[in-house]
Amino acid sequence: MTGRRRKPQPVVVLRVPSGTEFLAAIRDTTKRVADLAGFDTATAEQVALAVDEASTNVIEHAYGGARDRVVELAFVCEPDGLLVEIVDDGRPVDRRAVPRVDLRRYARERRRGGFGMHLMGRIMDRVSFRRRGRCNVCSMVKKLPAAEAREAR
Amino acid sequence: MSELSVESLEREGVMLLYPSGFINAHTVRLFEGALQKALDGGCYQIVVSGVGLRYVASAGLGALMGVIEEVRTNGGDIRIAELNDTVRNIFEMLGLNHLYRIFPSEQEAVLSFREASGRGRAPA
Repeated sequence: MTGRRRKPQPVVVLRVPSGTEFLAAIRDTTKRVADLAGFDTATAEQVALAVDEASTNVIEHAYGGARDRVVELAFVCEPDGLLVEIVDDGRPVDRRAVPRVDLRRYARERRRGGFGMHLMGRIMDRVSFRRRGRCNVCSMVKKLPAAEAREAR
Repeated sequence: MSELSVESLEREGVMLLYPSGFINAHTVRLFEGALQKALDGGCYQIVVSGVGLRYVASAGLGALMGVIEEVRTNGGDIRIAELNDTVRNIFEMLGLNHLYRIFPSEQEAVLSFREASGRGRAPA
């Protein structure tokens, strides 16, 4: 024992082609990992939704619908929660351009998109984007309830 | 196994849609097609029953948002019934429960179109 903190290790890495037909596999894997990380079923399903939305954004925006690219997801079970990183090498997307959701305006304008980022932010405790080399990295953290309680104190 | 099927049934001038399975970016076109078919047929009183709906991503919510203005402009409405807890929670996270009337049962949703005061109105 050196007393140094161990670097967290990914428990699952999933690499899938950038086709929407793989979203079900992404959702199922996320839900199972969230179960293993200690979340209740309802929260695990919400985390799976957030990761589905982030992956859909990669496919539709970073890759522009191209089906021959790769979406890589790394799931890290940490003592206080779950970290998910979604990595792509598509075009950079300016997330600051994502508008605030105004449902009545969206309805008037017959808009069908723009809700995914909002859901990600509502479900996860932290959502951030960065460039790593030529890749986009979306990092999302969901804390276990005990960790949330500790932070609130 | 197909991830989504959508059955439709017209009852007393109300189009009932039964999406069964998962609505996400991959399956949403099927759901959009069912909604559009109702509109093309001149039916603007629509009930979406969630009895078989296990999961809906934002693509599915976007499909509803994309047609609601047209539906209400024509004096109709889209009403939602029998959502499971997971789907209801997603609706509430986005605030869609303020834009759509959500009913515990399909029967109540259908009957709500018979209420003159409820016709074509969003919830207060």
